Amino acid sequence: MKSLKLALLAAFMVALPAAAHHGWSSYDSDNAITITGTITEASYTYPHGTIMLETQGKTWLAVLAPPSRMSARGLPSSDLAVGAQATVQGYPSRQDPKEMRAERITINGKTIELR
Amino acid sequence: MQPGTAMLEALQEGSFAAAMRDSIWLYPAVETVHIIGFAILVGAVIMFDLRLLGVSKRVPVRMLAQHLLPWSVAALLLIVPAGFLMFSADATTLISNRAFVVKMVLLMLAATNAAAFHLGSFRSVQLWDLGVKAPRSARLHAAASLIIWLGVVTCGRMIAYV
Repeated sequence: MKSLKLALLAAFMVALPAAAHHGWSSYDSDNAITITGTITEASYTYPHGTIMLETQGKTWLAVLAPPSRMSARGLPSSDLAVGAQATVQGYPSRQDPKEMRAERITINGKTIELR
Repeated sequence: MQPGTAMLEALQEGSFAAAMRDSIWLYPAVETVHIIGFAILVGAVIMFDLRLLGVSKRVPVRMLAQHLLPWSVAALLLIVPAGFLMFSADATTLISNRAFVVKMVLLMLAATNAAAFHLGSFRSVQLWDLGVKAPRSARLHAAASLIIWLGVVTCGRMIAYV
C-alpha cells in the first residue's frame, strides 16, 4: 500500500508541470496579441477548430473553439474560407512561437467570442 | 518518432475518428455517454469504498457489492467504448497530454487495487459483512480506491486544460 501511495504521488508530480500541445496553461494569458491575416487552411473539427493565418512573414496556427460552439455563436464553417481575411485576439503558446489560442475572431465584420 | 505513433495515426485516420471530428453532434453525444457511464461507475465505487470505511454500517457489505458490481460492469460498457472514440479523434495529441497519461496510469492502479482487494481481503467478507469493522487491509484498499478514482476524474477533466 505504501508503494501504491508513492506511485500515486509520483504520478501527480509528473502531472503538475504539465504542458501539452493544445492546452490552457500552455498559453501566455499575460500577453494578449491581435493578429490579422489571410486564412490559408481551416479545420472545423472536434475537439476544436483551427485556422492557419498568414500574415507578413509569418503563418500562425490559431486554435479556435469546438464546432458546436462556433456554430451556435454564428460562425459556420463556411465563414472559415481559405482566402478570407480574419483577425484573431488571443494568447500565444509558450511552446510553439507560431501558435496562439484565439479568444475571439473577427471575420466578415462579425466578431465571435470563442470562450 | 515514438513507437506506436504509426498505430495512433492509423487509428486517427479511421472512419470513426473522422466522424467524431466532423459531425457537429457526435463528439458531444459520445462525451455525454462517457460522463453518464462514469457517474454510475465512480458513484458505485465511492459508495462501496465509503461502506468499507465505516459509512452506512447497516448495509451488509456483500449485499452492497452484489448490487453495485453489475452496475459498474454495465457502466464500463458505456465508458470504455465512448472514451476510446474520443481518444481516436485526437489520438496523436492525447498521447502526449500529461493529464491523459496520468489518467491512464491511475486507471491501471485502480484496476490493480480492485483486483488485489477481490483476491485478498474481500475473500473473508463473511466475517465482516455486518456489524463488524472491515479489516485494515480492506479499509486501505478502499481509501486508495477513493483517492485514485478522484484522481481519474480530475485528470479526465484536466485533459482539456493542461
